[in-house]
Amino acid sequence: MKVEEFSPDSLPDLLPLYYKRLFPYGPFHRWISYGNVEPNYFQNREFSFTLAEDIYIRFKSFIGREDMEKEIQKRCPYKIDIGAVYATRPQERHMTAVFQPQERELVFDIDMTDYDDVRSCCSGADICNKCWKFMVLACKILDAALREDFGYEHLLWVFSGRRGVHCWVCDDSARKLDVSARSTVAEYLQLVTGGENKAKKVVLNSDKLHHSIRRAKNIIEPQFESMCVEDQDILGTPEKISKVLSLVPDDQMRQEIEKEMSKQNTPSMKWAALTSVVQSWIKRGQLKKWRQFLVEEIMLQYTYPRLDINVSKGMNHLLKAPFCIHPKTGKVCIPFNPRAAEKFNPMTVPTINQLIHEIGQFDKEQTQEGDEVSLRRVKDYRKTSLNKGVVIFEEFVRKLEDTWKGKQIKIEASDATLKF
Amino acid sequence: MDISRRRKVTKVVAGSLAELYPHNLQMYYIPPITEISLSEFEDLALERLKVLRCLELVNLKGANKFSDEWKASLCEEMTKQGLKNFYKMSTAPTCKQTDAELQYRKKDHLSHFILRLAYCRSDELRRWFIARELELFKLRFMSLNADEIREFLNMNNLSYSPISAEEKDAIMPSLYESTYGSTALLSEKDFFRVPFTDVLELVRSRKVFVQAGYAYIPSSEFVAVMSSVYRATLGQALMMTYRRLPNVDDERLVPLLKGLHTSYVGEDFKTPKGGEICIEDLDKHARASYPLCMRFLHEALRTHHHLRHFGRLQYGLFLKGIGVSLQDAMRFWREEFTRIMDVDKFEKEHAYNVRYNYGQEGKRTNYTPYSCMKIICSSVGPGDHHGCPFKHSDVKILANKLQAYGISSQYVGEISELVKGNHYQVACGKYFEATHGKPSNGIQHPNQYFEESQVALGNRPAIKQEPMSQNSQHSQPNNYPSKPKPVKQEKVEEDVWGGDIDLSSIDMDVA
Ligand code: SF4
Ligand SMILES: [Zn+2]
Repeated sequence: MKVEEFSPDSLPDLLPLYYKRLFPYGPFHRWISYGNVEPNYFQNREFSFTLAEDIYIRFKSFIGREDMEKEIQKRCPYKIDIGAVYATRPQERHMTAVFQPQERELVFDIDMTDYDDVRSCCSGADICNKCWKFMVLACKILDAALREDFGYEHLLWVFSGRRGVHCWVCDDSARKLDVSARSTVAEYLQLVTGGENKAKKVVLNSDKLHHSIRRAKNIIEPQFESMCVEDQDILGTPEKISKVLSLVPDDQMRQEIEKEMSKQNTPSMKWAALTSVVQSWIKRGQLKKWRQFLVEEIMLQYTYPRLDINVSKGMNHLLKAPFCIHPKTGKVCIPFNPRAAEKFNPMTVPTINQLIHEIGQFDKEQTQEGDEVSLRRVKDYRKTSLNKGVVIFEEFVRKLEDTWKGKQIKIEASDATLKF
Repeated sequence: MDISRRRKVTKVVAGSLAELYPHNLQMYYIPPITEISLSEFEDLALERLKVLRCLELVNLKGANKFSDEWKASLCEEMTKQGLKNFYKMSTAPTCKQTDAELQYRKKDHLSHFILRLAYCRSDELRRWFIARELELFKLRFMSLNADEIREFLNMNNLSYSPISAEEKDAIMPSLYESTYGSTALLSEKDFFRVPFTDVLELVRSRKVFVQAGYAYIPSSEFVAVMSSVYRATLGQALMMTYRRLPNVDDERLVPLLKGLHTSYVGEDFKTPKGGEICIEDLDKHARASYPLCMRFLHEALRTHHHLRHFGRLQYGLFLKGIGVSLQDAMRFWREEFTRIMDVDKFEKEHAYNVRYNYGQEGKRTNYTPYSCMKIICSSVGPGDHHGCPFKHSDVKILANKLQAYGISSQYVGEISELVKGNHYQVACGKYFEATHGKPSNGIQHPNQYFEESQVALGNRPAIKQEPMSQNSQHSQPNNYPSKPKPVKQEKVEEDVWGGDIDLSSIDMDVA
């Protein structure tokens, strides 16, 4: 039996089931509690609900897992957002004079719509396997930078359910960053700047490549031709060619590239023509030193991660919780493994109706075999294609929890040495 | 110590001043305990404000901060404002402990604390104050020689030591690659390993090697570490001052402190100055009276029937400021947006924001239209139309647009040159001149641009204005702090009010 296509109208019927049987409250609650190292961490966290008819409730908070579960099942929110941790319970915010966010994961939001000027396969809310490659690159580059440069280890990558990805940096030190440190990290990771009236959006202006940019370049380079020159066909039409050419500041060089390109027939030969002109200029010393990374600048402009940095800068910016259902697509906002991002296929992310169908099937099969007992024992999400996402999530939570176990051991060990 | 002006007899005891102010550079840990007259209080505040304002103006001219060009321009600006001495003292500390120098240090100390009182009041004020004070601090720190730096660190209990030679060798290639500037001297320089949060500026601009949360900075950039210590201290101190502010009960001070910042930033254009503006006339106004930033947004909206978040904010608040009513604004946005979305979606997703701009939703703040400074500093990404066209456009694209608007090629040339020199607001003034046939008074705010334009076009009577700078040609707008009027009156009554201000009675302790 084929599962029907998702329709947003079915949400009110499906959400109660989803929240009753599938939402992974256990690991979710363990994550937000952060090992209970600070007693009220979970209680003082802001959640917000978006209900049907776009009714929006901010500053919700829960006492514990049960409370949260009950409330979510009662309201069946279309969307759950996670906000900051405050010094008091957000629901009781009126009782304190200063109600300021204290801590918050460092979050990143990459949205496919920000790539509209460099992708031609789709636009707006649509995505396909070709443009998902931009997300794969963004994920690899950011993941590496956050781990190597900033030393963060607990990164949760989530597909947003429609056309983007989120990254939650959950390390203790990241959660404690103040606003200016957050904006520093965000800007460190932002290379593509300038609006609709600026053609050249990456200007390196240096005779060396900063290690973070070199690393990005090394990640991008092997992909660039197949992704941009072939898939997105950035040299496919005269207009597209002139867009690339507008990134070459020097008039004479631009003309030379244009001439060389016109001699070539295929886009990839045209790209080769561009790089070889630039190379020869560099060899002849005709290119100013701080302009020599021209080819890199072009590649970066087309592929470097485009962050919505305002999301990262603020402490109180709300971000959609993992395992929500995207109300337009019905897809689950599902965690994925950044190291295998290229294998993740957003087109096959399960939709809510598919999942509900799957538990139905499973139950039916089990009861047919008369195996009522084992039916009880298996968590419902294990029976569905949600399982893979939950496994990745649990793995993430387990590693997170290890950090406190590690701490506990260290404290005990140092106590031990003291006794001697 | 009593330094009241009326009791002029005060003798300055050099010994104690030297003890109080042993170093030219201060961390301002200890608040002053002294009495000064109201007028002295005011003079000190205004002088330091002028210094900070000079810094701000010079930054806008676009030279690299702390470059020789920047310093020269600052020196010039400060000299113009009669602050030459302040500049000299700040950049060439003699450490000879002369009387003049000690007096300067004391003034520095007092005026810094006075401005804390005025600038602790809101997030925006605090941010502005910290940014300027930090520049001043850096300028001074960078003028110290090695001995003076050591002395300063000792005095303030700050100890830092460089990484070992082995450690440095191990990461040398990375240091070469990622440390900003010439590589020639790197092998000789000491490197310090500090948490990246201590040197945010250097990390933000990718000027140093960053690994596992630590930044490796060469000794030549050590100032960055110091300024982050200073920034943190000052930020905290301002919050403390703010919390204790209600205890300042000297009723003479309150209006003075409140008026200080607005006395020079001018109006905030929260409430429109002229009559109502009819949205049917917006196209006409866009051509005749809008500054370029708003004209671009207006045209983008008309073409795409959509603007992204910050575009809607920048333009929406501007419209409020020129006198478009909430009802009209709602109609205006709805008419455009509903060409590409249904009314339902508009009502759900955008109507809220329109009301929000007018303070009818959310925190119900009456939001202030953005000033040039805010617009120039905003971050602009792909798909965005907001920002300042003089800053955020390619010169070529800008020139083409101007040509298309019918600006003469001579003006287009002049504007392009100004843009290349990063004189955005001056370029904006040129655009005003080109479209109005007369120079502007200096552009600070898109709404001020609009008002001036309306006056120039005869749509509105001229509002009496303070005489502006004489050489309005290429100079920056001369908008310096001056004593606000009500305070002057109080000064006349000073004797009636009597008494000095006892700074020690104002609790400015950080601890
Ligand atoms: S200088 Fe100010 S008014 Fe002029 S375009 Fe830029 S932001 Fe707008
Ligand atoms: Zn696509």
